[in-house]
Amino acid sequence: MVPLQEGMCPGLDGDLLRSLLAADIRTVEDLVSSDLEDVSRKCSVSYKALFSIRRVLLAQHTAFPVSGADLYEELLSSTAIISTGNPSLDKLLDSGLYTGEITELSGGPGSGKSQVCFGVAVHVSLQLKQSVIYVDTTGGLTASRLLEMLQSETSDGDEQMEALQRIHVFRLFDAYSLRDCLSALRRGGLLQASGGGSVKAVIVDSVSAVISPLLGGKQNEGMSLMIQAAVALKTMAKDFSVAVLVTNHVTRGGGGGVQPGLGASWSHIPRTRILLERVDRAPSGCSSTLRSATLIKSSRQPCHIKEEFDLQRQSRSVRSSSGKRKRDEADS
Amino acid sequence: WCSDETRAGMNESGTQLLARLEARRCLKDIEPRLFSEDEGPQHGEVVELYGAEGTGKTELLYHLLCRCVLPEAAGGLEVDVLFVDTDYSLDMLRLVTLRSSLSRLLVVHCSSSSQLLLTLHYLETTLNSRPSLALLLIDSISAFYWLDRCEGGASISRQEEKLSKCAELLGRLLRDYKFTIFATCHTIRRSSSGSAASCSSTLEADRPYLCRPWQRLVTHRVLCSRQEAENHTAGGSREEKRRQVFRVHCSSSSSRTKASRISSFCATDAGVQFI
Repeated sequence: MVPLQEGMCPGLDGDLLRSLLAADIRTVEDLVSSDLEDVSRKCSVSYKALFSIRRVLLAQHTAFPVSGADLYEELLSSTAIISTGNPSLDKLLDSGLYTGEITELSGGPGSGKSQVCFGVAVHVSLQLKQSVIYVDTTGGLTASRLLEMLQSETSDGDEQMEALQRIHVFRLFDAYSLRDCLSALRRGGLLQASGGGSVKAVIVDSVSAVISPLLGGKQNEGMSLMIQAAVALKTMAKDFSVAVLVTNHVTRGGGGGVQPGLGASWSHIPRTRILLERVDRAPSGCSSTLRSATLIKSSRQPCHIKEEFDLQRQSRSVRSSSGKRKRDEADS
Repeated sequence: WCSDETRAGMNESGTQLLARLEARRCLKDIEPRLFSEDEGPQHGEVVELYGAEGTGKTELLYHLLCRCVLPEAAGGLEVDVLFVDTDYSLDMLRLVTLRSSLSRLLVVHCSSSSQLLLTLHYLETTLNSRPSLALLLIDSISAFYWLDRCEGGASISRQEEKLSKCAELLGRLLRDYKFTIFATCHTIRRSSSGSAASCSSTLEADRPYLCRPWQRLVTHRVLCSRQEAENHTAGGSREEKRRQVFRVHCSSSSSRTKASRISSFCATDAGVQFI
C-alpha cells in the first residue's frame, strides 16, 4: 500500500490531501479504486482535478506492459549459462545455472550441498572472473576452505587473492535479516556490495536453516517471510541477470521417500531442483565422497535423471582419502 | 459504471467506445481436447488451472498462449494476449517458436497485490487501445496469498481485502469488455502422494482457498495432477520411459452446463501432446 503524500503529483496539495484523509482515502490504491464522483462531492473538489490526479498516480505506480518481442530480445541478450565447475551437475542442469532463475539444491546433512556451493563460488570467481554474493546462514563458510579450494585450482598467489576478493560473504542467522539483506541487494545494493564488479551468481546457503524454524503452527509470519525472501531473489535474478543457487533440507514425504523441505508453497519458487544423496557403496572403512544428484524438477530436461560425482574430485585436491575424511569431519 | 462513463464521455472517443462494445474473439475453441464443443470458455469467463508443483500447469499455459498468438495460417487464433506475471516465472526463451507473433503478446510483471490492483486499473486503457486483446493470462493468482495473509493480521476480511478488490475489478472489466481469463493457482498443502493415496487427502488439497469474490468469478476449474505411471514397455526407448504424463480434470460450473472431463497429456520437446 502506497500512502498518499503531499506533492506526490501536481495538484495534490496539503488541503486536498487533508480532505481526502477525512474521507478515509489514505493510499493510492484507495483513491484509484474509489468512485471519483462520490469523492468529489464529499471533499468538494472538482471532478476534473481528481481525474487527472488519479491518472498521474496510476501512471506512476503501475507496472507497464512490455511487448513480448522486446522482452524476448532483451532476454536473449542478457541470459547466460553459468557452469557450476562440476561436469556431472552441468549435465543435469543442461549446461549449468541459468541466469534469471532460481536453482535449488536439497539434501540431508552431509550430502554435500555446501561443498557444491563452495565449488560454484570458486569456479565463478576464479575461472569466469565474475563476482559472487554468498549469503551464509549456517556458519559453514570459512575463508580458509575457499583458499584451499582455490589453491588446488591454481598456484598463482595473486590470482587466488583476486578470486577471494570477488566472493562477497554475508553472514546472517535469522529470517528477518535474510529478508532485509535480500531486499537491500535487490533494491540496488548488488553493485554496491560487489564494489562495482559484475555479479553473476548469488548463493544462499541455506534458506531452510532460517525459515523452517518459523514454519508450522498458526502463525503466518514464517510463510510471509519465506515468500518475501523468494520474491526478492526472483526479482534480483531477473533484473540483474544473475543465477541464484539456494540450498534446502529434506523431509520424509508420504510413501517414505525423501523430498525437499519448506513445503508446497516453496516448491513453486525454484525453476530447477536437484536432490543430493550420499552413495553408500564403498565397503572400506573410509567415508565415501561419492554423491548422487537427481533432477526432480526441470523445465528443460526429463525428470529423475541421475548423475554421480565425487566431491573430492570436484575440488581436484590430491589429498589421501584419510586426510579428506579429517577435513570432512572438521567442516561438519 | 454508468456515471463514470457519462462524465468521462468527453474523454472517450468513438474508437474507444467501439473497442469496448465490439465483441472480442470468443475462445471457446481454444483447446478442443481440453474443453469439448460447448464447454469451452466463452466471453467473460474465467478458467482456473489448479495444481501442485510439477503437474504441468505452466506447460498447459504456454500451450494455450501459443495457440492464441499464432496466426491462423499456423493453426492459431491470432488474438492479442496480456500475460500478468506475478511469479516472475515467465520463461520467454521457451516461446522461441512464436518468433514474429510475439508482438501480439504483452507482458506485465507485478510484485505485490497492491501493484496488481493498480495494474488492473490501468488495464482498462490497454483494453481500449487493443480491441484484439481477448485473453488475460495470470500466472499466478495465488502468488501473494501468504504476503496478504500476514499483512492482514488476525482479521480474515483484511487478509482477503486486496485480492477481493482485484477480483471485483476483474469482474467489472470482464462484464464491460468481454475477454477471457486463464489463471494458475498453486496448492498450499501437500497431499500425501504414493500409490496408496487416500481420496480424502487429495480432496482437501484441491479445496479452493482463495477469497470468495475470486471463487465466484471462476467458471471453469482445471485440476492438474501428475500421473505416476510406470512405463515398463520393454521395447520403448529411454525417452518414452521417462515421459511424464499429466492428468487434467476440467469441471465447469457455469450456468450453461455442469460438465466434467478428464484428459491426459505429456510434455515433449514439440510442446504439449494430448493422449
